[in-house]
Amino acid sequence: MIFSLARLALLGFAVLSIFYVLISLYSRSVRRERLEQRWDDEDMDGDREAFIRDGLAEYDGSVRRKLILGVYVVPVMVMGTLIYMMNF
Amino acid sequence: MRYVKWTFWFVVIAIIVGFLHYTLPQRDIVRIVNTEVRRVDVGQNSWFWAQSDVGNTPDTISRDVRFIETILPSGKPIVFRNEDTGWGWPPYFKLDSSNLQAEASDLVSNRDAPRWVVVRHYGWRNEFLSIFPNAVSVRTVEGPDVRLVPWLNITILISLALVVLLIRRMWIQFRERSIDPLFQDDDETRDRADIYSDEKKGRLARWWKGPPKP
Repeated sequence: MIFSLARLALLGFAVLSIFYVLISLYSRSVRRERLEQRWDDEDMDGDREAFIRDGLAEYDGSVRRKLILGVYVVPVMVMGTLIYMMNF
Repeated sequence: MRYVKWTFWFVVIAIIVGFLHYTLPQRDIVRIVNTEVRRVDVGQNSWFWAQSDVGNTPDTISRDVRFIETILPSGKPIVFRNEDTGWGWPPYFKLDSSNLQAEASDLVSNRDAPRWVVVRHYGWRNEFLSIFPNAVSVRTVEGPDVRLVPWLNITILISLALVVLLIRRMWIQFRERSIDPLFQDDDETRDRADIYSDEKKGRLARWWKGPPKP
């Protein structure tokens, strides 16, 4: 029982980690694209690279980015709910 | 060549649909006529059987399996097995087979005074392979004509579709930002990614549909 539960936990953690990394990269890429877009649309002057760097730094500290941790939280909660509903 | 492609996609879709049909929960309104335990030596059909109860040794081949024998309103029989799925696949986390067997035994009725119950289950009955759907839960209903809306399946399928859409969107983004610029010489084009992103989506759609036919 302990063995199969551990196997599930390890496998689940590995799969969710892959998802976490991919979604993080995706979200950051979308943010960068939006920053570039904004720079170009609004005809801003100055250092374009610095503008994008600052924007991404702001993103790194944002709540939005931490929401990606939901990739781990949600499945675990679903699993807990399922175990409860199925058996008790 | 076109037929090869059709066959390929047909097989892929059939596998996906079959997999979902086997794994997702279904419900049947039945009356339970008997519950019993049978010794089973699982052989080549072991794919379609779970293991023994979660706490026990998982790899015994010969073991006792609980069965719930039921009759559909049409009069056709349908026999369920009642096994723990434990921590394995499919992820029902069913650990209470013994309790379910007790509930099912409590609801046994005969044809003169039928007591209709909803059995939620997954899996297939196949006489050639000797496989049975696995019952997950039972509850009583008023009659055989109660309308059941599969909310759970609707939720699961919508979530799955959202995940697939997200993966597709991520792939498009990756292509647009990381692969395509490798084939562009000047940096300017890279920054104008958005201008032709629509075209890119069109390109994916075209790839999906195949080359334009003459």
